[in-house]
Amino acid sequence: MTTTRREFMGTIGAATALVGAPSIVRAQGQGTFRIGALCPVTGAGSPFGSGMQKMIVAAADAVNGAGGAAGRKLEVVSEDTQSSPQAAVLAAKKLIDVNKVQAVLGTWSSGVSLAVIPLTNEANIILMNTSGAPALSVPPANAKGLSYRFQATNERFGRAFAEICAKEGFKRPATMAFNNASGIGNTEGFRKAWEAKGNKVVASVVYEPNQPTYRSELQKVLAANPDVIVTGSYLADSTIILREWYQSGQPVKWVMPGWAASPDLVKATGPDVVEGIISVDSISNEEAPSYKAYDEAYRRATGQPGQSNVYAAMTWDMVHVLSLAIEAAKATDTAAINAKIREVSNPPGQQVYTFAEARDALKNSKINFEGASSVLDFDEHGDVTPNFGVFFIEGGKLNRRYVVRL
Amino acid sequence: MFYAQLIVNGLVQGLVIGLAALSITLVFGIARFPNAATGDTMTLGAYAALSTHTVTGSIVLGGAGALVAAALVSLLAYFAVFRRLAERPVVALLVASIGVAFVLRAALAVIFGHSQQVFQVPLSRPFVFGSVRVAPLDLQIAAVALASLAVVFALLYLTPIGRQMRAVADNRDLARVSGIRPGRVMVALWLLAGAVAGIAGMMLGIKTIVSPEFGWEMLLPSFTAAILGGIGSPAGAVLAGLVLGVAKEISTPVVGFTYKIALAFIIMLGVLLIRPRGLFGRVEGAR
Repeated sequence: MTTTRREFMGTIGAATALVGAPSIVRAQGQGTFRIGALCPVTGAGSPFGSGMQKMIVAAADAVNGAGGAAGRKLEVVSEDTQSSPQAAVLAAKKLIDVNKVQAVLGTWSSGVSLAVIPLTNEANIILMNTSGAPALSVPPANAKGLSYRFQATNERFGRAFAEICAKEGFKRPATMAFNNASGIGNTEGFRKAWEAKGNKVVASVVYEPNQPTYRSELQKVLAANPDVIVTGSYLADSTIILREWYQSGQPVKWVMPGWAASPDLVKATGPDVVEGIISVDSISNEEAPSYKAYDEAYRRATGQPGQSNVYAAMTWDMVHVLSLAIEAAKATDTAAINAKIREVSNPPGQQVYTFAEARDALKNSKINFEGASSVLDFDEHGDVTPNFGVFFIEGGKLNRRYVVRL
Repeated sequence: MFYAQLIVNGLVQGLVIGLAALSITLVFGIARFPNAATGDTMTLGAYAALSTHTVTGSIVLGGAGALVAAALVSLLAYFAVFRRLAERPVVALLVASIGVAFVLRAALAVIFGHSQQVFQVPLSRPFVFGSVRVAPLDLQIAAVALASLAVVFALLYLTPIGRQMRAVADNRDLARVSGIRPGRVMVALWLLAGAVAGIAGMMLGIKTIVSPEFGWEMLLPSFTAAILGGIGSPAGAVLAGLVLGVAKEISTPVVGFTYKIALAFIIMLGVLLIRPRGLFGRVEGAR
């Protein structure tokens, strides 16, 4: 028998991989379901990523402690996206091809989720993400309907902005958007919702990243004499724009997404510049018992309050929804699970908050899982509608004044 | 007066681009390769200025820090990399300079982290001339840029080493047989090019934010200005920077803010087609 070099190398490679792999790969028993935790542990998402990953593990422990999903233990294999699409694709490939995960949970930022989704679709497994880009809702990205989004879409952020502008009595809003799917998603969502109320947007600008100055962009917007500027922006560009605006001396209010108008922004510009800015971010389902369970787990794992990481509440919920769908399906193939996800999390049904409670209720009736991050009712695109916290920056602090429900 | 304001906006960013282009064109004129590490030398200057400013609280000392650090690192890159490759083809030097850029950027990211940093300078209301508003900060930045340009041109045109640099730029072999030692000229060149990039980096950092990638992202516009100005022409580089800055801003009412960046390249394309040697470049004969 002859062995070609290629076959030989292949064998060596496979053997090495097998020896090097953790024992769980070799011992893929009948009674397990393997989850890939693909979170932004390093890079721009690093303030959230490690907490997100820990909550996937903690939720899996909770499910396993209650006997597993349909009697199967969950196993978590963790990888880091480095907050970069390239690194995320490599990590996702490894999770799918080497670890043979049966679902990928926890991708953060639209660029990463949009890069990973073709791989999960190809492997025919479920992807649960925390990204905002509208493109993730529809084909081609979500052509198979296997993607679920636990964060509000940018379009919903825009609708929340419109509610806030109406409530605050603004009459002449202008918009400024960073030129990408997320930035424009925010301001377009705002424009549609605002015009549906019979109002007009007085000026709008889409700007490019990495410019030495945004003065001309500001000039155009400010020339229309707006009383508020609504943005789809990020931290770096917001810093430059706000500093230049402050120097222009023209009074105007700002409504910004929470990932831009954050404590880091206050640190960068100083409290005077950002005084009175309205920062909007999705908030967790804080009154629900499921949030209490999450909060306890988060404090135990990180020593921080659960409120400090909205994305960790989302990953906590991901494991719960997935496990309940497996429980309801009594099977682990993707099609069976996917068919049950809306059934266990949307109304009608008995409202349930923990895995053990939900599993027992499932024996007698339909259930409606209410998550820690939101009430988790998935629409036909797999999108949820969380509540939005409205924070005013006052004296350098973000103070939450009220909550907007869409 | 809408346009007057746009021109002012354009001039300020043009000065930053112009200084970076000056650094590129100096290296190209004398060492004869496009130095892709210029952007990251700017970043280094910005971080040096930021650190000095944070420690001392003085923006002048910050500028000195930027100047010294960027000049020294630039010289170091010459001794460690570019001198060894001096006789290699341009492509080898270009690729090596990209490598130097990576090393610089990675080192800065490790030392200072990836999150953005900001110069804590007081923000003040603008001076109003008629209907044109000019921020005091921009006036200071413009003053620093003009002073740096004056020093560079004085150095090039009024000192012996400047004369030698220009001689090498004109004709390296002729300079050598005239008794000019290329070693000294190269040291002077790299110190000067580094210092100019460092100052440009500090100016950009004060205007915007400082992150490990921010200088690299300025490289393309700076190269465009260097080419537009005529490669190797210091005055041309600065003027081209200003032209690009102003053209970008003036165009925005027509093409919008998304496409103003493309305009820089359209201008460059036009120049390359109609006047391949740039605004101030000389036609180089085959030697």
